[in-house]
Amino acid sequence: METYFLKHQDVFVFYSRIEEEFELYAPIKVEAKPRLLCEHGFSLPTEEYLLRPFSCIQEKSDIVYNEYRCVEPTRTLFVYPKENISGDTPDPRRQGPSKPLAISGLKNCDIFSLKIQDFVFLGGDEVDPFYQARREDALIISGDCPAFKEVCFCRAFAIDPYSQEGFDFNLSPLNDGYLLDVATEKAQRIADSLKNILSLATRGQLAGRAQKREAVVKKLDAHLALHKIPTKGSLKDIVVSGYNSAVWQEQMLTCVECGGCVFICDTCHCFLLADTLSKEGPQRMRIWDGCLYKNFTRVAGGANPLKMRYMRLRNRYLKKFDFFIDNTGTQACCGCGRCIEVCPGKIDIRYILKRLYEEKHLSAH
Amino acid sequence: MKKNIYQPIEAVIEDVRHETATIKTFVLRPKFLFSFRTGQFIELNIPGVGEAPFTPSSDPAVKDRLGVTIMNVGSMTSRLHAMHSGEKVALRGPYGKGYPLEKFKDKDILIVGGGVGLAPLRSLLFSLFGEVDNYNKIVLRYGARTSGDIIYKDLLPEWAKKKKVDVMTTVDVGDPQWKGNVGLVTTILKDLPIELHKAIAVVCGPPIMMKFVNLKLLDLGFKPEDIYLSMEKNMSCGLGKCGHCRLGSYYICKDGPVFTYEQLKDMHDIWD
Repeated sequence: METYFLKHQDVFVFYSRIEEEFELYAPIKVEAKPRLLCEHGFSLPTEEYLLRPFSCIQEKSDIVYNEYRCVEPTRTLFVYPKENISGDTPDPRRQGPSKPLAISGLKNCDIFSLKIQDFVFLGGDEVDPFYQARREDALIISGDCPAFKEVCFCRAFAIDPYSQEGFDFNLSPLNDGYLLDVATEKAQRIADSLKNILSLATRGQLAGRAQKREAVVKKLDAHLALHKIPTKGSLKDIVVSGYNSAVWQEQMLTCVECGGCVFICDTCHCFLLADTLSKEGPQRMRIWDGCLYKNFTRVAGGANPLKMRYMRLRNRYLKKFDFFIDNTGTQACCGCGRCIEVCPGKIDIRYILKRLYEEKHLSAH
Repeated sequence: MKKNIYQPIEAVIEDVRHETATIKTFVLRPKFLFSFRTGQFIELNIPGVGEAPFTPSSDPAVKDRLGVTIMNVGSMTSRLHAMHSGEKVALRGPYGKGYPLEKFKDKDILIVGGGVGLAPLRSLLFSLFGEVDNYNKIVLRYGARTSGDIIYKDLLPEWAKKKKVDVMTTVDVGDPQWKGNVGLVTTILKDLPIELHKAIAVVCGPPIMMKFVNLKLLDLGFKPEDIYLSMEKNMSCGLGKCGHCRLGSYYICKDGPVFTYEQLKDMHDIWD
């Protein structure tokens, strides 16, 4: 993998080159009311970043380097919330951009989540042709996190705040520019056409990046130590053995069944196939679904194995930390904290996991 | 060009047979030849209306038509029940793994059905009858709520006459015309003409029936790995992608719908 240095003033040249071949999404910054403040004294940023099509951003100077993940889950760009999937031959470009997708501003939590989506939509006996077309063509531009939000907890699950795989390009902010990792042939072809603005990274620059990465990891670990989030290795055990824990019922007292947590989640993937009649005739739609909704498991005749809200919350955790660990070796949670921020009932995955851990390991003491 | 895995193929309803007041068997002729293994299921679609999973009840050896026996219980099935011969539906599949017939070889096969749960078992019986020399004995025990709820009334006596086959039927609630056993299906799971050490059991029916039949079979000495259960849950895609039918570490659509009790015994709430 080659690594180059890209000056800050040349970023738009880089983006414009990508926009020639791709429909580029890039991050913009919005001031937002702080949703959650750190209870442990850390001064953490509260601004939000949103992904927007490069072509629709009128003031290109609005495009920023996002210091942590954007609000939207990345999957929104690969599996649309509502999509017409009719037809004998799939037409992945019927909705959305006509060009292949390029996404800048993805973080390592987003890259991790894409692996979960790949398992679902590209794995198994049958490949989802809509997802496959968008995913295989896509140019993934990730970036290191020089900062984190109060809700970020990727490191609890051994996910670093910077990517070392799963991208085409990776940006690491350094001094007056970025180190640009070029990981794939697709990316190298673009880099080769931008030789005038790229210079090979020096050993000193690479060492500088390593230091920056280490510093943010250290700060994030200090933050997470205060939250006492169980580590990756204990997740399956505590969730399975916590089946009858009181935490499910307690936490669901404030749930208003809005579905926010499942729709903002970047590792959730559930959907519903729905048939409708339009002027053009019968249509098949694919619509995002969520396991926190009461009819998620309801069968014809009315029986519902997950009739109570606490059962649905527990089911969600069993799916993420039992089913996925059994089937893929990894949990379906990237530690992005989006579900914590979105929840009007203040249901916090970090707290639930901590409780399950304490009930399993500390109850006898 | 890639295939759209969510798009069903057209099929015409060729015949509709009334089994009971609430159950009909639809004979479908798909646009293309359609193969399935017994126990696999299809997604049956009414274009523009909806889709639901059903396990075919017909002989898998027949490739140009397939039968699906359906109880009228919900919105999709009530639309289906209002349809007639000649009308068009659509179907996708087959999905799931079906019955592992290779493991049934030289065995005494106990088949226990409840209500409309006999439908997938009819397909299994056709498969077994087609290669009856491969099996030692086929014992069918079937329970319905009342005599009016018994499906395949004309076939049950025919099956009873076949060599190596033993059939017994019971109803939960008797009536003056019913001359057979009265009681739940578990009441005819005694004095079974099988040798336990070489027997396997296949069970399909409503969850509450499967729960108690499973307990009875364990009491009789069946090993958990020799009890095959047809599980069901809400499904949408049938392909292990939509996430609805998770059961422990499995998806019922992809890894089932037939599971041994051994696979399920450590899971919570499997009968809910």
